[in-house]
Amino acid sequence: MSSKNWPVLLLLSVVSLPLLIMCGYAVIDAFSDTAPGSLVPTRFTLEHFRFLWEPVAEARGSIWVATGNTFVFATTSALVVTTVSLTAGYALSRLNFPARGFFLAGLIVLHAFPTITLIIAIFLILQMLGLYDTLIGVIVVKTALELPLGIWIMKGFYDTVPWEIEMAGVQDGASRATVWWHLVLPQVRPGLMALILFSFLSGWSEYILPQVLAPGSDARVLSTYLSSLILDDTKADFNLFKAVGLFYAAPVVVIYLLFQKHLMNIYGGGTKG
Amino acid sequence: MRNVNWLGLAFLSPALVMVTLFFLLPVVLTGFFAFTNMSTATGVTGGEYLLNSASLRRLQNEGLPQEVLAKLEAGGYRVDAAGLAALAEATTPATAQELEQLHGAAEFSDRRDMERALKDLLDNRIRRTRDRKEAAELFKRSILNERFATEAAFRAALSETGTRTAYAEQITTAAYTGWVWTTKNVELLFALPSTLRYAANTTLYVTLTLAFNVGFGLFLAITTFYLPKGQGAAFRAIWFLPRILPPVLYVLMWRWFTWDTGFLATVTGYFGISPKNWMLDTSYHAWTVVVLINGFVGASMGMIIFSSAIRAIPTSMLHASEVDGASRWQQVRWIILPQLAWPILFITCYQTLSLLTSFEYILLATDGGPGRATEVWSLAAYHTALNNYGGNLEYGLGAAFALVLVVIGIAASLIYFRLFNFKRLITKPLIEG
Repeated sequence: MSSKNWPVLLLLSVVSLPLLIMCGYAVIDAFSDTAPGSLVPTRFTLEHFRFLWEPVAEARGSIWVATGNTFVFATTSALVVTTVSLTAGYALSRLNFPARGFFLAGLIVLHAFPTITLIIAIFLILQMLGLYDTLIGVIVVKTALELPLGIWIMKGFYDTVPWEIEMAGVQDGASRATVWWHLVLPQVRPGLMALILFSFLSGWSEYILPQVLAPGSDARVLSTYLSSLILDDTKADFNLFKAVGLFYAAPVVVIYLLFQKHLMNIYGGGTKG
Repeated sequence: MRNVNWLGLAFLSPALVMVTLFFLLPVVLTGFFAFTNMSTATGVTGGEYLLNSASLRRLQNEGLPQEVLAKLEAGGYRVDAAGLAALAEATTPATAQELEQLHGAAEFSDRRDMERALKDLLDNRIRRTRDRKEAAELFKRSILNERFATEAAFRAALSETGTRTAYAEQITTAAYTGWVWTTKNVELLFALPSTLRYAANTTLYVTLTLAFNVGFGLFLAITTFYLPKGQGAAFRAIWFLPRILPPVLYVLMWRWFTWDTGFLATVTGYFGISPKNWMLDTSYHAWTVVVLINGFVGASMGMIIFSSAIRAIPTSMLHASEVDGASRWQQVRWIILPQLAWPILFITCYQTLSLLTSFEYILLATDGGPGRATEVWSLAAYHTALNNYGGNLEYGLGAAFALVLVVIGIAASLIYFRLFNFKRLITKPLIEG
């Protein structure tokens, strides 16, 4: 069998080459200098990581502020999304209440609904509320937009829990809330974990929302820090960009490598284009 | 079991509040904003009443009679407390006092009359012409360039200028600086030639990217399926990268790859081709890169879903076909592809909608350039309302752009409902029976 595989292997390697080159050189260029017009690095250097201890551009401030903001942004929205989805997902999966079908249908529409079309209206709402250009505003919006997907995912995890567990609990006289807390929640712990990680990564990578809703320097996050660095291209210093990019993407890659199995449950469904 | 009903709603309520505020409300408001002329100039909240040269010009174009315009422009002179105080400051308190006695609360429509009044003061006449002119200026009361917070205040000031009430309505409308309801945005959408261009761009973008996503996703899923386990997993991990890397970094790598000092330019430089920006050189370059950037991300989603669908095919079927002497190609064509019909349909539906509205990667890569070559509909909405070089952000027009997408999105979701058998998704809970 394996002797017949080499054409496929070759084909796959060729089409994967651009991606490999891009990723490879992202790491190489961040740690080395290369003469113009050449692809072979000449010397190893950590100079491109100077942004860690000195501001690279006066207006942009310290990267640590941006990192702190990104962390607060991603963590808060992940925790709120997960907490809210935890109850809402259970309600939609297991409980009977008025207009349940309506809520489910609404959830599916929202899940399929492209959130980015709403950004103009949200922008105006935040201006009216006075939350424009604040980290809180972006966090609230991100959380709300992430919720339908979160609830949908959580509902999916609840759906896989066998009914017998709850039946047994209810038969023994426990209330539904007690059954949920003591019997069902432990069953969906892997899903809980996956959802927290997934929404954390989603918040960490978010670009459009902070860019539009909080463009000021106080609420700057890493994605807007990096993009403003790139777009302000008096001189494109790709070594610096890539170093910042590596710093920015490191948590994403680490989390992915550590929790690959958890995350695959969700990425299969997919949210990105 | 009555109380269980309320438990369900209670469990749902936090989600309901948030989703309503920042999901449903924006959907509804997009509809409202699309029918306003909101922009940076009008502001988002209410406005004031202000007549300036621009609004006068607008009124002239609307056909307001010349003499009314002249009256608005010229204004008049009124001997009021503010003017008298200023006069007392400029000359002597006695002068002001006498003027008040003789002409208190008097109004003059002409400057000469005002000056005559100042000249004809008995005890404190202002002799020098220049002084008189300056003093007269103090009493000039014009509605022009004066801000009024409320409509009532503006109308009062307007009637003081002696404008006939027949024109008051029209002038008040013209003077309002806040936003108003209008259907102009929708008309503009149909009238502007660029709208058609954006629609065509969007169609091209969605079609090409979708074809790439499904085709390449299938290719990756099938090829990695036939590779030994380790190798297949390795390639799948590589092709998963576009999906997990933050968009800003992912597009940065593409920018470098196609930059005029980047990889492609360097390699082609070895063959004597002068360096150029391979992304923005021509619109063909831009489109290729845009489709590839989005396609790599989309293909990895296709790959994951197709892979798991292929793994769900009973291996006995594949073994049996091998025993019967089927080639790899026949296996793919007659066993694997028919099993993938449903996932392919799902990916197509899902990604049509998300591609239609996504502009993040295009914004970061080409920003719609070169020219407007890769400006798709959603990006046009973004540029119109939230970010353009002109500086006047037209929220209303942008919302009209977005409204079209909202309508398409809702319509598409409803169609998908039918397609994917919605009834199956809302099975009743078992315990309540």
